[in-house]
Amino acid sequence: MKLLKDLTNGIVKENPTLRLVLGTCPTLAVTTAVFNGLGMGIAATAVLIGSNLIISLINKIVPSEVRIPIYVVVIATFVTAVQMLIKAYSPALDSALGIFIPLIVVNCIILARAESFASKNPPLNSIMDGLGMGIGFTLALLLISSVREIFGAGTFLGMPIFGASYEPALILILPPGGFLVFGLTIALVNKLTAKKA
Amino acid sequence: MRDYVRLTGVLLIVCMVAAVVLGVTNYITADKIAEQTAIANENARKSVLSQAQEFIMLDGQEITEILAKDDYDTIREVYEAKADGNVIGYAIKTAPKGYGGEIEVMVGVDIEGKVTGINVGNNSETPGLGQNSTKPEFQAQYVGKNWNDGVGVIKNGTPKDNEIVAIAGATITSNAVTKGVNQALNLAKELSGN
Repeated sequence: MKLLKDLTNGIVKENPTLRLVLGTCPTLAVTTAVFNGLGMGIAATAVLIGSNLIISLINKIVPSEVRIPIYVVVIATFVTAVQMLIKAYSPALDSALGIFIPLIVVNCIILARAESFASKNPPLNSIMDGLGMGIGFTLALLLISSVREIFGAGTFLGMPIFGASYEPALILILPPGGFLVFGLTIALVNKLTAKKA
Repeated sequence: MRDYVRLTGVLLIVCMVAAVVLGVTNYITADKIAEQTAIANENARKSVLSQAQEFIMLDGQEITEILAKDDYDTIREVYEAKADGNVIGYAIKTAPKGYGGEIEVMVGVDIEGKVTGINVGNNSETPGLGQNSTKPEFQAQYVGKNWNDGVGVIKNGTPKDNEIVAIAGATITSNAVTKGVNQALNLAKELSGN
């Protein structure tokens, strides 16, 4: 039961993007198209699960005074090793997700979950937390990138949906539009979840 | 005092383990990555100059001297494309600076001086904006441009024969790719003796 709670926690209640407001930089950067949001979400989920597991396993031997530098080293090593392996053995995956992997190293969701969850919980719970947070992150990216791509480019996953006469609102694809949609999405989710409580 | 030694020691050990893990991974994957890059390059050359049967890399003294010129600062590799023993064009790999670092642009130029195709490879351009330079619709604009007129960039409107329309919101990327193409065109012209 506890495992299920750890999983669902990241999806709505503590959604990393919309509730904890973590990982804002990659969120704004990649949500210009649905495909990019999806790619970033999947890549980040994989790293979150892996890093949460490792951090949870080594938390007994890590002195608390130097835990942050150790987390940073562990996460960066893990991500870099995965990147090299993908480049070497799966060029197709590399061309689809390759550009997102370096961005993940600076994604603060990873470090935040290592610090606030994985370092205090057993491995299995940490994996569930990583998976839940990853799903939450992916869903938030999908939501924001759908709005930006549909209205900013007139397409969904690259397919035109409005016909040629639609003049896309380019500002939504540009950085200011990212902030606008991001803010409005947070407001909407706050409104919806406030009613439930 | 003892604490400092302990903390530094743990940190040192963690870093050493990390270094070993990365070293081993690099050792295992380096050859494989180089191989994948070579395949990708080969495919890029074929995609820009499909009639060619083989590509011969030009790396002699002569070409090194030509490439030393400032006008060719983005050019990385030059290949002579051959079919039935005749030179039919050049595949030229350029790396102009875009918004997020260098962009790999492979340019195919036939012996008549026309662009046969371009291929935008590895780059760190913004997803959704500069990243759109990898789309076929953008790259197709360069086909047929010639080495006498070069290529110009306009932001909107109807392009003339020697112009392309920039990607919306990514003028820097569009200019960078165009710079690579123009340098490749000039180089091909010089190499062919025209």
